Amino acid sequence: MSGDKAVRLGAIVVIAATNTKNEPRDTAGSSLPTENDGLVAGPLACVEIAGRSAAERTVERLRKADVDFISVLITSDCASSLPAFRTRWDNVQTLIVQDVGCAISQILADYSQNGIAYTFVTWADTYLETDLLDLFYFHRESRQTVTRAFDGDAPLALWTVDCAKAQSLPIEQLLHGRTAAPYFVRGYMQRLSAPGVLRQFAEDALRGRCEARPCGKEIRPGIWVDDGGEIQRGARIVAPAYIGGRSKILSDVLITRFSSIERDCFVDCGTVIENSSILAGTHIGIWLDVCHAVVSGNRMLSLERDVMVAISDPSLMRSIGSARVLPPATSEPDRGQAVVVEAPREQHPMAPVWQFGANFIQE
Amino acid sequence: MYNQGPVIVMELPQELTQAGASSFLESLQPLLETSRPCVVLDCSQVRHIDSAGVEMLLHCLGEAMKRDGDLKLAAVSPESAVILELMRVDRLFEVFETSEEAAHSFRNFGQAASAPTEPWYSTGYPGDSLKAAS
Repeated sequence: MSGDKAVRLGAIVVIAATNTKNEPRDTAGSSLPTENDGLVAGPLACVEIAGRSAAERTVERLRKADVDFISVLITSDCASSLPAFRTRWDNVQTLIVQDVGCAISQILADYSQNGIAYTFVTWADTYLETDLLDLFYFHRESRQTVTRAFDGDAPLALWTVDCAKAQSLPIEQLLHGRTAAPYFVRGYMQRLSAPGVLRQFAEDALRGRCEARPCGKEIRPGIWVDDGGEIQRGARIVAPAYIGGRSKILSDVLITRFSSIERDCFVDCGTVIENSSILAGTHIGIWLDVCHAVVSGNRMLSLERDVMVAISDPSLMRSIGSARVLPPATSEPDRGQAVVVEAPREQHPMAPVWQFGANFIQE
Repeated sequence: MYNQGPVIVMELPQELTQAGASSFLESLQPLLETSRPCVVLDCSQVRHIDSAGVEMLLHCLGEAMKRDGDLKLAAVSPESAVILELMRVDRLFEVFETSEEAAHSFRNFGQAASAPTEPWYSTGYPGDSLKAAS
């Protein structure tokens, strides 16, 4: 896009608890739960997969497309669940908003006043690897106020908006009116509508099926270990696999079949993690078999049996709360006010004695 | 609890935690101390199971096996199955859809076990031919 730098581009990335902008698709044959089901507290777009959340990966893609300014809008109900981005960018602002529609209108007006001609508007829970440059050219040539991305017949939560022309239209009509020019996307896409999709996304990232790559250093072909990740001697990691930052893998652990262990996790001796994603800040106990599952804290979603199980025994699984600090964010009515995000509290505080069944063994 | 001939079928409590498991074990223990106990535990009511519950199941299995019996599980919910798999004990138990199926499997087992079998060396044992030759 460097040849078009006379045209300034903006972007708005919305992070909300539920994505109502994507039309429902036929899920026949899918064994995945259709809702978050409480596996994670916030929106799935904020859950780190192979080191980065889908929201952060979307922002990164926009930056790579030479977008000049990006506004990340987080609804106030899920503001605390946004993990800090790994990289701090000067041209990315984070806003906590009550009403997404009003905020988008306001930002489009601001962009227009500041010389930004076109804006991408997207919801972070639709992870798309489409050619944004091609979308922009298509929009400019269509001479419409809005162009909306489509996947076959299904509309997606990605628009290109002419900032100046958009002032004359209400936001609902702007985004959901029938006047939008359709743009059919190509490339990889994940709708983060269910926790099981996180697993699919992790597997695709590890297998190289998409441009999203695991973070950290590839210590051996197909094995990525992030900063501070520790693998004890005797642990067996079968590629491809991802070990997150500050995670600790003890001896005799087996991690296999495209598994990802996110940051600040602890996997105790002898445990097998197979075809599973262990989300950030999870303690997995000794000699367990975690297969075909997504685990967060003391909750485990079995993808094979399609059930969510809350483990009450902290020696098996528990949350070990830790969080990155959110970069300075501003709430819409009171810009400039920093928002402090508390570290998530432990769901099950560590017991003073190690407990397994009826036996109490002093540490 | 009901007894189908030699097979004891017991329904596990809703809460198979430390308290629930120990009180259940108290009632099951005398039955496990009989000769060749054949026990089916019906898991259809189980809503919550933890490591104490799993440990109780393993204890019962061990007691039954010591006396040449067996313990089988029936009507295991997906949630309980996930816990058993997580703790690697699922493979130690035979699991059936219903307690009737589980009890029936013991009958087959009993018939097979009581069928007269000949010593494995009675035919074609090289030692026999050697003795005969000598």
